[in-house]
Amino acid sequence: MVQDDHSLRRLAVALTTALIVAGCATSRVASGPPTSSPSAQPVPQASPQPLPLPTAPTPPPAVRENRLSPATGSLVTQARAQVARGDLPAASSTLDRALRIEPNNPLLWIELGKLRLVESDAHQAEICGRKALALASGDRRSQSQAGRLLADALRAQQRNQEAREVEKQPFMN
Amino acid sequence: MVRFKSTRRRALLIIAGSALGMLAAATAMWVVYLDRLVTREFQGRHWSVPARVYAVPLDLYVGAPVGADDLEEELRRLHYRQGDPAAGPGVYRRQGGDFDVHARRVRFVEELRESELVSIRAGSDSITDIRQADDTELPVFRLDPLLVGSVFPVHGEDRIVLSPADVPPLLHAAIKLIEDRRFDQHHGVDPYGILRATWANLRAGHVVQGGSTLTQQLVKNYFLTDERTTRRKATEAVMALRLEAHFSKEEILVAYLNEVYLGQDGERAIHGFGLASEYYFAQPLDELDVGKLALLIGLVKGPSYYDPHKHPERARARRNLVLQVMADAHLIDAAAAKRAAATSLGLRPPGGSYVPAYLDLVRRHLRRDYAEADLAAAGLAVYTSLDPRAQAAAERSLTRHLSHLDAASRLPAEHLEGAVIVAEPNSGDVVAVVGGREVGAGGFNRALDARRPIGSLVKPAVYLAALETGRYNAATMLEDAPIELKLRDGSIWAPQNFTHEIYGQVPAARALAESMNLATVRMGLDIGLPRVADTLQRLGLETRPTLNPSLLLGTVEMTPLEVVQVYTSLANGGFRARLRAVRAVLDERGQPLKSFKVQVETAAASTDIYALDEMLTLVMTRGTGRGAATRLPPGLIVAGKTGTSSDTRDSWFAGFTGSYLAVVWVGYDDNRVTGLTGAAGALPVWVDTIASLKSASFQPVRPELLEDRWIGFGDGLETTPGCSEDAIVVAVPLGTVLPRKAACGPSPSHTMIDKIKAWFKTTIH
Repeated sequence: MVQDDHSLRRLAVALTTALIVAGCATSRVASGPPTSSPSAQPVPQASPQPLPLPTAPTPPPAVRENRLSPATGSLVTQARAQVARGDLPAASSTLDRALRIEPNNPLLWIELGKLRLVESDAHQAEICGRKALALASGDRRSQSQAGRLLADALRAQQRNQEAREVEKQPFMN
Repeated sequence: MVRFKSTRRRALLIIAGSALGMLAAATAMWVVYLDRLVTREFQGRHWSVPARVYAVPLDLYVGAPVGADDLEEELRRLHYRQGDPAAGPGVYRRQGGDFDVHARRVRFVEELRESELVSIRAGSDSITDIRQADDTELPVFRLDPLLVGSVFPVHGEDRIVLSPADVPPLLHAAIKLIEDRRFDQHHGVDPYGILRATWANLRAGHVVQGGSTLTQQLVKNYFLTDERTTRRKATEAVMALRLEAHFSKEEILVAYLNEVYLGQDGERAIHGFGLASEYYFAQPLDELDVGKLALLIGLVKGPSYYDPHKHPERARARRNLVLQVMADAHLIDAAAAKRAAATSLGLRPPGGSYVPAYLDLVRRHLRRDYAEADLAAAGLAVYTSLDPRAQAAAERSLTRHLSHLDAASRLPAEHLEGAVIVAEPNSGDVVAVVGGREVGAGGFNRALDARRPIGSLVKPAVYLAALETGRYNAATMLEDAPIELKLRDGSIWAPQNFTHEIYGQVPAARALAESMNLATVRMGLDIGLPRVADTLQRLGLETRPTLNPSLLLGTVEMTPLEVVQVYTSLANGGFRARLRAVRAVLDERGQPLKSFKVQVETAAASTDIYALDEMLTLVMTRGTGRGAATRLPPGLIVAGKTGTSSDTRDSWFAGFTGSYLAVVWVGYDDNRVTGLTGAAGALPVWVDTIASLKSASFQPVRPELLEDRWIGFGDGLETTPGCSEDAIVVAVPLGTVLPRKAACGPSPSHTMIDKIKAWFKTTIH
């Protein structure tokens, strides 16, 4: 019985790991100059340039692209290896470390949300998805990954209608 | 007669014989009983090992905000010594910004890391390169987790348990040499030793030597009380013999090294060589040099008489005697003994990293899951969120500013008190707790237990509740005008502004930045008190506040910790992270027992929070917190709110950067009037704490449903920075219609003269 539980769990972990790795393969940013962290990116706040009058619609937000730094990238790799070994508490703790380094990187919240799904904590996975979505504003690629996570987390809670609404968002394709 | 006599004699003999027989039987039973006791207790021996509490290890990576001097400070905090790293773990060498570090073998939550050599290069304010011994780059490397304390029972034993492999060979040999030369020969009791000691004592006329073997000392400490009776001596001897019969010399020696009492630290009894090494030198036992080892061995004879803190000369003489004996027995060579005898005692500096207020929080969190007895004895390892850098910064800032404020106060005899909590809002990790100005002392923990009215710290919740109705935005004009309310009890409530001025029509952003009471009360009554209470609870307040209009001005009482929980949601984009002091608990073998994950809930819409947070940055640039600007690192964007309770009894500040949230309370314990506003009392402490931490600016990502617009801070009309000197940015929903400043032409003028010229031009035409 215990043995069965273990092997079932291991199978589930292995399957989900495969999903995560497959899902994250698309998240890798292939080219472009390395940037340290998303928080280093300019945010148009209190900029000294006057805005044109009369009111014009706000120009589309500056193109942002979130990526992992070498440090957080290596921690994410480590966390995935820990998931593959079935050591979920260690993976969680490793992602904590990464988030301490880059608390505002949506990719890390997406990673944490996927781990929560593996742990069958769909509610926390949903919150991670929402948090990632808020941080990903202006970055289509991160938005669509966050939306994917959010929809999966909602489905895992049998909230299929809400999941479909997320999938209908413009950033999802 | 004769017959009678002989019968009597026989009877006496029988009685005596049976008495002797019974005595022998009783003695045999007693020995068997002691044998059983010794075997059972010693076999299942479980050292009482209090839970050890560790801080968060510092992660180093390229770009980490750790300069060369910071790194060295960090290594010293962890008691790494300068020297040749090849010599062994716990040693580093620094040349300019280049460090070679022999990192110790340490257990982290996720893994056990073996000791290793790393090379770290640091600039003046960040890490630039990390490599392993074989020159491969390390993307991330963490330093040891700092041991910050243990959860020991009051009057309790504290110890670090050594396994046989942990005992340095020199200690192994030297302890026998000093305490029990014939340990390897005797069977628990040493008749020659007793004879020798008796002879020496007789010659001296008083007790100069003890004849106890290590085994007897162990039995005495482990099983018996400290009374000095013949009966106890006999029990001790029998138990020692039985112990030797059942257990190996090695087991007994290691048990002795773990059991022996070696000093007192306040309420904490220092047991065993493992802990004594940490306590006296802040080093693991296997890193001790021969002089330090000799000092500890010398302490066995009398930990209080030879206490190196209180009696350094006695301790030094005793150490040197031990060194001499070791050299005579050729355990060490004479030259090494001589060199060691010339060195200082090498004690760790007093004080250090004792953090009672933080440990208090840890203890309370753990009590939910563990019995007090397990915490005090089960040898758990507790990994916390404590950041020693933040803790030190908060302690320094609070004590320094309270002294300044006391000196400037009209009541110099009274001592202001205060509390500081620093947290990471994204994870909810509490990284520092200061419970009062006597930071090293326990006692009343104001950070957790001082429940005080929060004053204007409540206002962000009122404005958030207003934004959530959709009827208000940051540019909405509010009316700051007198108001009188008849309360349920028939009394009249007539709030006033702190300045006793009336401001008339003001934009919401300014009313919050300048903490206007009248405008806030009018808006709060318009949206209704239940909404405000709902919002406060969603943000993290656990008990529903009383729905009294004065709630709008912060009569609700909260502890600094509760304020932190509420403000976490504001600093984290509307996500409420559950506060966390304990990250994980491992058992004595390093196996995970429990981990406490980051727990986040949605508390408010990201659009509403973004708009509110932009208003809270205005508090710091134009409002009641503007005094902070010159004392913060240039360009650092921060958000926050001042709070002052009625008659300035409580001075509060709650604010955040992109990295940290900190809440400060300043006041008197007896609730006396301080004369300090939030800006005068708590804000300087907050600024100083934040300024000494490396922080990112608070720059949240703007939700796509909002846009930034310029309005006049004074009049709330849409404008441009060129057109109005007091133009501010507010975030409002896309397409919000704002009244425009009429006098603004396409080429805005900059000075008052220009404006007057422009006015003349338009009127003349």
